[in-house]
Amino acid sequence: MKKSALRRQAYDEPLWWGLFSAGGVCFAVVVPAAILFLALLIPLGVVSLDAERARSLLFSLPGILFVGAVVCLPLFHAAHRIRHGLFDLRLGRDKPNKWLTYGGAALLSAVALGGVLLGMLQ
Amino acid sequence: MSTKSIRIKRYLPEQADEAYWQRYEVPVDDSTSLLDALTHIKETLDSSLSYRWSCRMAICGSCGVMVNGMPKLGCKTFLRNYPADIRIEPLAHFPVRRDLMVDMEVFLEHLAAVKPYLIDTAAENTEPYRQTPTQLARYKQFANCINCGLCYSACPQFGLNPEFLGPAAIALAHRYNLDSRDQGKAQRMAELNRHEGVWSCTFVGFCSEVCPKHVDPAAAVNQGKVEAAKHTLIALFKG
Repeated sequence: MKKSALRRQAYDEPLWWGLFSAGGVCFAVVVPAAILFLALLIPLGVVSLDAERARSLLFSLPGILFVGAVVCLPLFHAAHRIRHGLFDLRLGRDKPNKWLTYGGAALLSAVALGGVLLGMLQ
Repeated sequence: MSTKSIRIKRYLPEQADEAYWQRYEVPVDDSTSLLDALTHIKETLDSSLSYRWSCRMAICGSCGVMVNGMPKLGCKTFLRNYPADIRIEPLAHFPVRRDLMVDMEVFLEHLAAVKPYLIDTAAENTEPYRQTPTQLARYKQFANCINCGLCYSACPQFGLNPEFLGPAAIALAHRYNLDSRDQGKAQRMAELNRHEGVWSCTFVGFCSEVCPKHVDPAAAVNQGKVEAAKHTLIALFKG
């Protein structure tokens, strides 16, 4: 009885929920700030940022943290919502959906972080 | 005294396979509750109507029904707050037995699964339990549940998957986990940390909106997620 109860434990869920929560904070706080700077203030010329300075800012340790907060964690937040959205709409089964959504988020995160790392090595 | 029109979703399995709507005109004044109206129908208009009720004062949790699509207690719902046309259905997400009476078996199973009672491992303890007001305040809000099942009718996740423990059972588990006299948390966490435990909740929050006793089960479920995450971390380090 005890063993079967243990087998059914959802040990992966705290990880997805933690990433979802952290991503939610980033979505609410960091992403709007990034959009404000990158999509409004810089194109409007309010803040000046030339390509050389942008490159040195991005391809650095703070650049990795920036990409983690603006790309990776929000990706996992979105993946969690999409997974539960698919369940709500009765689309697919939960197990493959988990691979699809979190796997997609992990893949895109790896591409984003890999890009920064490549830039740092150059 | 004016009258209002009440449409009730009838289901009489010995007469018809399908449910059907039946309209009743009931006399109402400012103090007429929905339960009063149902009693009027049963006593003077149609004795074949079936519904559950007992205390008439929002303590027993028996008279839950859907009022215009919202889960409500019949005794706590006053017809003065509704337009002329009122739709009454049995509680959503439960199998219907007859008229407004639903089968709450699955709900009771979920309640029993979380062991909603004080578990004292020191069984030989014969002293009365002592508890400070601060210790009482930690769980008191979650102790107000009357097991009416309105939160299960409100919960879309329970509607999709009746295996989900659901708001009331998780709130009750949380209530005992927070109780200073209790030592059964480890047993309950094994139940809460399942996919059908706290992790099926998507924080819709409608359970807390419909709760007639302001238990706030959504808060209990989401505090339960933090506890389940801690439980997992501890299990991870213990191996």
